[in-house]
Amino acid sequence: MANTQATQAFYSITLEPGSAPTAACMCSVLPAQSKEQQIFEARGERVFLRRLVIDGEDVKVETMVEHDTFSIVRGVGSFRIPGMKEDLLTISSDSGRMSMLRYLPEKNKFERIHLETFGKSGVRRTVPGQYLAVDPRGRCLMMASVEKNKVVYIFQRNSDGEINISSPHEANQMSALCVDVCPLDTGWEHPVFGALEIDYSAVESDPSTAERPEKHLVYYTVDLGLNHVVRSWSADVDPTANKLFTVPGGAEGPSGVIVCAEGRLYYKHNNHPTMSIAIPTRGGSLEQARNRIIVSGCMFSNKSKRTFFFLLQTDDGDVFKLSMQVEVDQELQQVQSMTLKYYETLPVAREMLLIKKGYIYIVAESGPSKMYHVDSLADDEDEEPENTFTSSSLAEHDEPLEVVTFHPRPEMQFLTHTVDVPALHPLIRTKVDNLTNEDTPQIYAIQGRGDKSVFKTIRHGMSVSDAVESSLGNVPYEQIWTMKRQEGDQFHYYILLSSSYTDKTTVLGIGEEVESLDDTAFLTVRATICAAQMGDNAHVQVHARGVRTIQASGAVVEWPAPTHRTIVAGSANQRQLLLGLSSGELAFFFMDQSGALNALEEYPEMSDKVTAIGIGPTPKGQMQARYGVVGCEDRTIRVLSTDLETPLEARSVQALSDVPVSIEVVTMLDPDTNSSVDFVHIGLKSGLYLRAIIDEATGELSDVRTKFLGHKPVRIFPVEVHGQPCIMACSSRPWLGYHHPVTKQYTLTPLVTSPLIAVRPFISEHLNGLCGIAESDLRIFSEPELGGRFVSEDIALQYTPRNFARNPWYPIFYTIEGDANTMSQATIKTIQEQANGAARPPVGPPRAASHWASCIQALDPITSKSITSTIHLTDNETALCCACVPFESRDWEVYLVVGTAQDLNNSPMKTTSSQATPAYQSRGGGFLHVYKLVDEGKTLQFVHKTRFANPISALTPFKGRVAVGVANELFIYDIGSTAVLRKSRGIVVPNTITSLEASGDRLAVADVAESVTFVVYKAKANRMIPFADDVIQRWTTAATLVDYETVAGGDKFGNLWLLRCPEQASAEADEDGMNGFIVNERSYMGGAPYKLDLRAHIFVNDIPTSIQRTPLVAGGADVLFWSGLGGTMGILVPFISREDVAFFTSLEQALRSEEAVLTGRDHLMFRGYYVPVKGIVDGDLCERFLGMGLEGKQRVAAEVEREVREVEKKVLEMRGRVAF
Amino acid sequence: MADKLRTQQQLESLQNKYIGTGHADTTKHEWTSNIMRDSYASYQGHPSMLLYMSVGMGCTVEEVRKHCMERMVLPVGAPPRVEEE
Repeated sequence: MANTQATQAFYSITLEPGSAPTAACMCSVLPAQSKEQQIFEARGERVFLRRLVIDGEDVKVETMVEHDTFSIVRGVGSFRIPGMKEDLLTISSDSGRMSMLRYLPEKNKFERIHLETFGKSGVRRTVPGQYLAVDPRGRCLMMASVEKNKVVYIFQRNSDGEINISSPHEANQMSALCVDVCPLDTGWEHPVFGALEIDYSAVESDPSTAERPEKHLVYYTVDLGLNHVVRSWSADVDPTANKLFTVPGGAEGPSGVIVCAEGRLYYKHNNHPTMSIAIPTRGGSLEQARNRIIVSGCMFSNKSKRTFFFLLQTDDGDVFKLSMQVEVDQELQQVQSMTLKYYETLPVAREMLLIKKGYIYIVAESGPSKMYHVDSLADDEDEEPENTFTSSSLAEHDEPLEVVTFHPRPEMQFLTHTVDVPALHPLIRTKVDNLTNEDTPQIYAIQGRGDKSVFKTIRHGMSVSDAVESSLGNVPYEQIWTMKRQEGDQFHYYILLSSSYTDKTTVLGIGEEVESLDDTAFLTVRATICAAQMGDNAHVQVHARGVRTIQASGAVVEWPAPTHRTIVAGSANQRQLLLGLSSGELAFFFMDQSGALNALEEYPEMSDKVTAIGIGPTPKGQMQARYGVVGCEDRTIRVLSTDLETPLEARSVQALSDVPVSIEVVTMLDPDTNSSVDFVHIGLKSGLYLRAIIDEATGELSDVRTKFLGHKPVRIFPVEVHGQPCIMACSSRPWLGYHHPVTKQYTLTPLVTSPLIAVRPFISEHLNGLCGIAESDLRIFSEPELGGRFVSEDIALQYTPRNFARNPWYPIFYTIEGDANTMSQATIKTIQEQANGAARPPVGPPRAASHWASCIQALDPITSKSITSTIHLTDNETALCCACVPFESRDWEVYLVVGTAQDLNNSPMKTTSSQATPAYQSRGGGFLHVYKLVDEGKTLQFVHKTRFANPISALTPFKGRVAVGVANELFIYDIGSTAVLRKSRGIVVPNTITSLEASGDRLAVADVAESVTFVVYKAKANRMIPFADDVIQRWTTAATLVDYETVAGGDKFGNLWLLRCPEQASAEADEDGMNGFIVNERSYMGGAPYKLDLRAHIFVNDIPTSIQRTPLVAGGADVLFWSGLGGTMGILVPFISREDVAFFTSLEQALRSEEAVLTGRDHLMFRGYYVPVKGIVDGDLCERFLGMGLEGKQRVAAEVEREVREVEKKVLEMRGRVAF
Repeated sequence: MADKLRTQQQLESLQNKYIGTGHADTTKHEWTSNIMRDSYASYQGHPSMLLYMSVGMGCTVEEVRKHCMERMVLPVGAPPRVEEE
């Protein structure tokens, strides 16, 4: 670890985990509710356990557990071992181990009950893990590799209820490629697994069969008696087959498998003739002839009715219902015919799950996953007979079937969309920018695929929806209280608004509507300092001159403030009232049973003027709170005892960095000890927020956490959200402090809404929410959904976005979009015109081989929130890169420059040679388009375009011109009147330039395979000289200059790295003139004369597509923000002190040994997947500390020689300082 | 002699256990095929890589996976014809 000390080290944390799904299955893991189903899914490197919560009309998908596995998850499965009450779970990953898990409901955690090693770790060709198939009766499971190896584990449950697992049984077959594996349903006979295999040795000896290599369906029978696995049956299947589905067996069905191939489905079994049916293709003139394949599906079987059906989805997203007509003939079930009926068109799924409550869960390949309610299973045979196809054909794959067509519906008929599970994948690019002058910058992102693409504005926070917003006129109210009529009431009745500026109080009543009440006993001619419903049914109003107690009978008792003193602060609970006087004295009251306030005779004096007071809530079943907290002008807070034996005895003092303006004591549940703890929340004038725990016995303050919330003084209001006591901290933005429902951590999240001055709970017959004052409005809004972290606004785009650029002067973005193999607008129009309007409108963009649909759009995400201008590219061109370039020769006017390719073929489907191919192949070369930005950047005006021999892959403004990367050539171009004009050319990288970044005369040029090269442009000689490159091949996808000498980037294999140019090279490159050393320097190892140093490296298991140096929160330092294709957003935080590096390194080390990784993957090996981790501490692992049990925490804390609280605080601050 | 035999046997068992273990007469075709098969297997095993390719190619992840699988059969084309001597 010497390296982490020597240079700058980083702390890597994930802000938003990757959402790209890999696998999902249904399970029921709760022994107490064995009928309840949960969803077990793997997204990125995490596994989730979710459940569907149906509460009347309200349906939501609730996350029960989220667990980072620190491994590449490839498959998940669930099974129930006979005799057990709950399902067990299994994960196949890259660990080379089989892990069996159990869910522990009481701890809300997974417990690993078995971990069996069968091979090396890593994703390898012959190490099983790619496929996972579990016997439907839970007796064994099979894991298979892509080639050769298969292992079977048999489970047994002994008389003590323990689960035993057999040693692995191998079923290996040399030179056999495995396309898919599925279990067979054999009832209680020996378990069988079906595998789709190709034998490549046969093809190698006879290459003429290579076009269509023979595929076999192979049965592997697990003989439970003899305890071995045999290859029991094999049959030829369609060479295009790609997927298998289990057909119910035993009493429920004929057993066997459905083999899905291009354009056809087969039913196969070892004692049954093959049946086949064609997959209908979409009809209409816009569709090119093309066979569909099945990409996902699910099976539903009703055991009592003995019926079953499949839902199978094609690559267009069309879902078909496959049912089989079975006849029982002497105990043998014979399939008579198969029927395919078009069901619905849904987003393309990675996994489709049927939930028994009548829902379909689509784990979408791109974008949010969706939950649909099943209204009808399309059982009615008379419905849409034209979309129903039946076949009793016994045709084998070499006998052709008739092509059938159907027409997809644009509207859903059998399903209703109920809820989304938000997801960000595929996240193409992100940019952090502050276009709205908010406290914190926003994240702008282009995301999605095809016609579902969107431009997103992402903000950290939770959204609330306004129920009422009414103007309060021109009185600047700054306080609000809501009160019930009496203690036992369910709803609030009074709203008090107070304005100290006009010295007025307004009383509102909550009934059917909120209306002002004029005839209450509340004093309206003075500003209220504190108001509360106290005792059983009395109301107390504190104003500067006194305390007014209003009894239920209407009697009013006034307690005048002592002479020459006014009341400046106050706080009340159910029985007690603590006031601060202008003289620095305190007045304390206790309400007796009759509802009268009894004042304490003494007025103890504080050290300075009292600025804020908070008294703890009355504990349940008791009359008095133990402690009150008083904040003074001299930047201190004091904890005072408030029980009647020792009234107002000082217990502890805490110094603060600024004057406290608001103090609240709230009893919250401490997740560590699972007991109620008094938290004191303090808002400071400087915008800082503090939270501390009051020790119940001594009144000492401990575990102080701070966070900067905004530039205005922080005012704190206790509220209740979803039954949980929370606080609202109002600074320049309102923040909600709560315990996160999944992680149980105390979390502060801003509300995405206009600034609020004051907030109180609001409970009425119609709404359980909050009310607050925003500028001059009274706002009543719903409770935010706890747990959400981001709020996003979408603007729909036309095609898959590829890149975007921001106008440097106006808040306008330009996106370039392009879809491969998709019909362009122009072509659709032509075809539709030819058909004279007879062509049906397409459902989704029609596919067309080697056809590009592309456009450039300008959009305004701030004011109009819409697309402002669209330019469609023609002639099979597609846009690849774009940049806003200020040209010096045009008086620094900014133009949008777009690089395109014509007839691009980036799909390797057609390449047959083994030769390394350039990243972009194109017959037509590329173009550089230049657009003038008019109407404040909202409209694009075509200026000219210039042809290039190759597609243009990267652009960046460079010294008043544009630097252009075309294949391996780097150009500098200037704008001309009819074309761009070449100024300089150099060959600096070996393959294809993927990204360009400029700083001064320096360019960081990223290559598709050869990492980053530093290039210096010598203006006098007009030459570009590469002077430093890398020694490792990095397939760069994103790179940015962090400073003049350092570049941070990510590569295609999921690594993040920082490279730094050696000092000498950097200095030499900037020497004046051409006679400098650098030009004559000898090339070293076939590249540039100097080599970049690797400063930091980590594997993040997502392909980084954007990386940027930026602050993320108000007052936060710069961090490296990166986002990945799978929807991950993360940051690298530079460590400030060496002690921190040492501390976190040892914490990481301690956690590695303490926290067992679920899949058995070695954490250090995982983070050093391709290159050993260097200079980076994995914050995701460190944050695991927070979720550990108390015992584990103590062990780890002892290891790093700190207190548990101290470790927690450090871990939380590391994130809280710079991010959310 | 016995030593040589043992080495031979060990090599054979290695070749059996680990695909791609070379031998004295490994041809360029065998070697490159092996590498390409490794690559295609790796693409399939890394879900983010499949997603990356599917976004670029404008097709579904399953299509890319299927394609990678099928390419594994003869990843670098047919073996060169062996000239009879």
